[in-house]
Order: sequence, then structure tokens, then C-alpha cells
Amino acid sequence: MDRPRQSARRKLLRGFLGVAAGLAAPAIVRAEGPTFRFGLTPVFLNTDAELLARLRGWLEGTLGRSVRFVQRRTYREITNLALVGDLDAAWICGYPWLANRAALALVAVPLWRGRPLYRSYLIERAGGAAEDLSDLRGTTHAFSDPDSNSGFLVTVSDIISLGHEPEGYFSRTFFTYGHRNVVRAVGSGLAQSGSVDGYVWEALAATEPDLPAATRIVARSEWMGHPPVVCPRAREGTSEITALRRALLSMSDDPDGRAALGLLQLDGFVPGRENLFDPIARRMALLDRAE
Amino acid sequence: MRLPAIPLAARLPIVSAAILGLVGLVASQAVMGALVEMQNRHLRETLTARIDALALALGPAVLREDVWETFDILDRASGAGGRLPTLRSTVADRTGTVIASSHPDTDPVGAQLAPAIDAAVPVADLSVSGKAAAVSVAAPLLYQGQQVGILVSRVDLSALLAERRATRATLLAGNAVAILLLGGIGYALIRRGLRPVAVLSTHLSGMGDDPQPVPERAFPRDRELARLFFTYNRMVDAVRDRAETDRRIAERERYVSLGRLSSSLAHEINNPLGGLMNAVDTLRHYKDRPDVAGPAIDLLDRGLRHLRDVTRAALQTHRGDHAAAPLSAADFEDLRMLIEPEIGRRAQRLDWRLGEIPEERGGLPAGPVRQIALNLLLNASEGAGAGGVVCFAAREEAGALRLCVCDTGPGLPASAVARLLSDVPPVNGGGFGLRLVRDLTTGLGGAIDHARRDGRTEIRIVLPLREEA
Repeated sequence: MDRPRQSARRKLLRGFLGVAAGLAAPAIVRAEGPTFRFGLTPVFLNTDAELLARLRGWLEGTLGRSVRFVQRRTYREITNLALVGDLDAAWICGYPWLANRAALALVAVPLWRGRPLYRSYLIERAGGAAEDLSDLRGTTHAFSDPDSNSGFLVTVSDIISLGHEPEGYFSRTFFTYGHRNVVRAVGSGLAQSGSVDGYVWEALAATEPDLPAATRIVARSEWMGHPPVVCPRAREGTSEITALRRALLSMSDDPDGRAALGLLQLDGFVPGRENLFDPIARRMALLDRAE
Repeated sequence: MRLPAIPLAARLPIVSAAILGLVGLVASQAVMGALVEMQNRHLRETLTARIDALALALGPAVLREDVWETFDILDRASGAGGRLPTLRSTVADRTGTVIASSHPDTDPVGAQLAPAIDAAVPVADLSVSGKAAAVSVAAPLLYQGQQVGILVSRVDLSALLAERRATRATLLAGNAVAILLLGGIGYALIRRGLRPVAVLSTHLSGMGDDPQPVPERAFPRDRELARLFFTYNRMVDAVRDRAETDRRIAERERYVSLGRLSSSLAHEINNPLGGLMNAVDTLRHYKDRPDVAGPAIDLLDRGLRHLRDVTRAALQTHRGDHAAAPLSAADFEDLRMLIEPEIGRRAQRLDWRLGEIPEERGGLPAGPVRQIALNLLLNASEGAGAGGVVCFAAREEAGALRLCVCDTGPGLPASAVARLLSDVPPVNGGGFGLRLVRDLTTGLGGAIDHARRDGRTEIRIVLPLREEA
């Protein structure tokens, strides 16, 4: 992406987000200092406008500076922005974080249902009778993102574990670039099966129950580290990142933070350890060997 | 074909309403035609704009054969559409293989769309026709001037059809209301306008078909109509006067015919008087000689009997109380006795043929029939001239009494024939005899025929016999 276009888009996005923030959180007190750039990916329901507004409102209030959420279509775009230092922090999937562990440092890991863990769901359309992955062979399959653990890596590594080549296992595959989209694709019949973030699927059951109701869970993966908030290693010790980590870890203590967590359907954030992501690392190794 | 007997006051509004209905029908057709044309244009323009917009959005995704992106665009677009909602949109690549559909159940990813493409119509040929509530349209998807795929959309036309039905129903209801309203108003106005005519009609066909004058208090206020009523009343007076005059003339005619007979009768009475007087003298002188007195008494007896018969016939003809008595053969014999002196006076020959006339049969009154026959005989005798022939025949045949009077005269003048056969008024106060024949015959329900053949003038009267009294 060339710099002038990126810069123009940034201005546009900044303007839009500024207006949105002004409308959604007028009580926020802006502090002096550079804008905090926070990259978001569909590891949560990042299309929920109210959720985004509350999250930003809380973050700005806590950090004492304006916050800009940066969203892109793919995980890779956000990861790359973080790698090149265009983001101060990002909420990404464990898979790209592990892949770029040398350049990206762990800031915090969300707590879902009391644990910093989540898992992947293999789903089919409601009314189906598949019992496992092998029953879905030859179907049209919807993945979330090629850099998603739950929406891609888990299923592909399972296929490899079954002794098959990922290519050709499904009759046709496509990426929807969003876990919510995977649920929509499978529920509408566009795809017969899909790989989705279990946390997102469960969160949808509370916010848009019709979407997951149109699907059926065929298989659940093992528990793995929840998509973490990371930052470029170069910024790991900076005051902004320290403030961010402190804010996230104490989010459940703050009323605004609790409200945002309520919408996120999370319990809070913990510092997390790298070994939480070992299951993902094992699957990555499996994929590397297959390639 | 004649219209059924509908009152004028109803017929005019019905005709007006029919014309109004026809005009409404033509106007409604024009409106419906314009609506159909407008809908078709709206349909084509809307779908063209929609497809252009979709093509713009879909182009990159279709070029990449991005299933999700294509589905997402189609799925979000399918919610919109206003009065022309899209029921289903499917995008295929250039080979007709489905990339994505807003309804994957109908058109799954990777399926062949060729049959649907073949069944769809180009937007330019699109029209809302028949009762098809939905239509499929196909359009190429162009991206940067190149065709990258095909879009097939199924569009719901039910709103347009409903609009068309609603418009048609509104037009029909409007026309019906207008027709009923204007028809009703027309009926009321015409009925009001024709009220004087109804008054005239009632009085015209008044009691016993006798026109009655309209009382002045019932005259309409409109001057022209009031004048019409005034004229009508004058006409009624004139008709009454004429009827009275006719009645008097008919009465007089009876005496006129009697007068015409009187001289003949005087001769008829006078002629035997000399002989009778001689017989009386003979009896006076030879009353002791039975051989002389006997023939004189016989002569006197015959003469007096003849005089008695002649007198009785005259009385019978002109006596009012005999008029209603049933007709019999004796009445014709009386007539013969009455006419013979007139025939003899003109040295004419009377051809008298009396058929079977059963006594007091047929319910025909003697008076009018005798008057008819007498008038015709007198007329024939006058027409035949000196030395002519007058013939008379009467018989019953086929339920009718048939009279025939003829003469060898030059024939009736046209005015006389007109008086006999039509209702033209008599001129110069003459010819009432034949008019009386006509009036009496008509009054008895009979018919008159006049003919001139073989140098003879024939007048035939047919009087239908009624059931026996």
C-alpha cells in the first residue's frame, strides 16, 4: 500500500471516527498527546457500533488521550500495520501473534467464562447430521480468515491430522473475513460447513440468536489461548503500553469498563502467558510440516 | 329492434348512463394503457439503475470470484427495492457457474445457472404483463468494460400488479358512482320536466277514452307548457263539439232519409187511393149486389193491407224503441217495401237476394243494420239513375252478416268513397248518409269494402255476429 493513499484514508477514517466518537461519547475529556492507534480484528464482534463506542469511550477515559480504532478487512493487514509500527497496539488472533512473536509482545489476554481460553467450532447448517469433520468432506466450507486460528488453522490442521491434504478435502472453500460472516454463510446455505471462533458463536447467540440458531455445532476443538492484545516489541515498555495493560487488567473495576466488557461478553483481561497458546503452536507446527 | 316499454323518464337517463358508461370505459382503458406504459418504463428504468449499481459493487468481487463478497453484496441488496423488491439475485461467471446467490438453497455455489439465464429476459424487453407476480431478468456484469459475469435477478411485481388492480377497481367504482349519480339526477330532472306531459297523458286517456280538459289550476307555470295546455283544452272542446255535431247530424240523417222516402210513400199511398175510393163508391151503389160488392170488398181489403204494411215499415225504421231489437229477416222485407216505391219512381230494377237470416240471431241490433242498408240502398238508387239496376244481397256466412249493395251507376265520386272508408270530415255539409254508414258499421265492429267491377259499384259490409244474447 503506498503511503499517500494510506495517509488519505487515515485522515478520512480519523474524521469519521472522530465524529462517531463525538456522537457516542460526548462526556469524554480529551487529553493532550498523540492519538492512541488500536488495531481491531474480527476476533470479537467488531461490527457492533455500540460496543465500539463504549470501548473507545472507556479507553479514552482511562488512557487520557484520544483513541483511534483501526480496522481492516483481513487479519494480515492489521498484523502488518502493527509490525511496521503504524499501530500502538492490536487485538489479534493467537495464530498471527505466534507467527510474529519476535516482533509483537503480549499485552493482555481476555477472560471468557473465567478463563483466558476459547476454542474453535466446526459448524454446519441447522438440521444437518454430521458427527465430525470427516462427515463434512466434499462440502463447500467457509473459513474466516487465512490468519485465523479458530477460523482456519484448527480445521486445516485437523484435516492434516486425519491424513488428508487440506486442498481438495472440501469441494470448495472461501474466506468470509469475519466469524460472524462464517455463521451467516453456513446459516444461509452458501456454505455447507464452516470454521468459527467459539467465543464469537456464543456471543452471537446472545446478540443475534437467529444467526447461530441457523447452524449446528459439529465439533469443538481443545481449549486454546484467547486472541490476545499485543503491541510492537519496540513499544513494550512505553508509558502508553503500560497504561494500556493497566487499564485492561483493571477493566472490570471500572463502571465504563464493565459496561464494555458486558457488551463484549467477557469477564476481563489477564496478563497471560505464552504457554496458553501452545495448542496453537502445535497446530502451526503440524501445518508447517505438511507444507 | 324496438326498445321495451320503458317510461320516457327512465329511458333517457338509461341512454345517458349507457353513453356515460361507454365514455368512462374508453377513458378507463386509456388510463389503464397509460398506467401500464408508465409501469413498464418505471420497471425498466428501476431495474437498469439497480443492475448498474450492483454491477459496480459486484465487479471486483466477481472478477476475483469471491464467493463471500458477492453473497454479502447480493444479500444486503436483496433487502432493498421498495415497490420492486428483489426476490433473488444470483451471479454466475462467464461460463454460467454460480459464484453466489442471495438464496443459496435455490442457486448453490458452483451450480449451473444456464437454465435460469435462458428463462430470464433482458431488461430492455421487460414488461409487466399477465398475472405473473415475478419476473426474472438477466444482465451481463461489466467491469472496466469487460464482461466478468452474469446477474440473474428475480423481481417481485406484485406491488405493480396490485397498483394496477387498485387503479382498475377505482376507475370502475368511480365510473359506477358517476353513472348512478348522474343517471339518478337525470332521471329526477327528466321526470320533473315530463310531469306536465304525464298530466296531459292522464287527461287525454281520461274517462272512457274521452279526452278531458285540464283544470286551469293544474296548468304548469312554464309559459310554453301553459300554452300547450291551453291549446290542448281548446282541442278537447273542439273534439267534443264535433262529436255533438256528428250526433245531431246522424239524428237528422234519419229524418232526411225519411223525407226522401216521403214523396215515394205519398205516391204509394195515393196510387191505390183512387181504386179504393172507387171500391167504396161501388159498395155504396151496389151494396145489395153481392156479385159486385164482393170484388170491391176484396180490392178494398188488399189496398188497405198494403197501406198498413207500408206505414208499419216506415214506422219501424224510424221508431226509436225498435232500434235495439234483434235483427230478423222481416227487417229486410220492410226495407224492400220502403225502397221499392223509390225504385219504381226511377223506373229501376231491384235485384233482391235475401239469404238465410235466422230469426233473432247474431245479437245484431235491427236499428243500425236497417239504417246501414237503407242508406246504401237510397244511395245506390240515386247513383243508378233512371232505368238502372240496384241490387241487394244479405246472408249469414262464417259468423258474420254480409250485406252487398250494388248499382249500375257511374260510380261513387272520390269524396264519397273517402267519407265511406275514412274519417276525413264531410265537406260542404253533405254526404252524411255514407258517413253514418261508416260510423254505424264501425260501431258494430264491422268492415266496409268498396269496389267497382263490371260497370257496377259494389259496397260490401261485413258485420261480425256476436255470441247469442
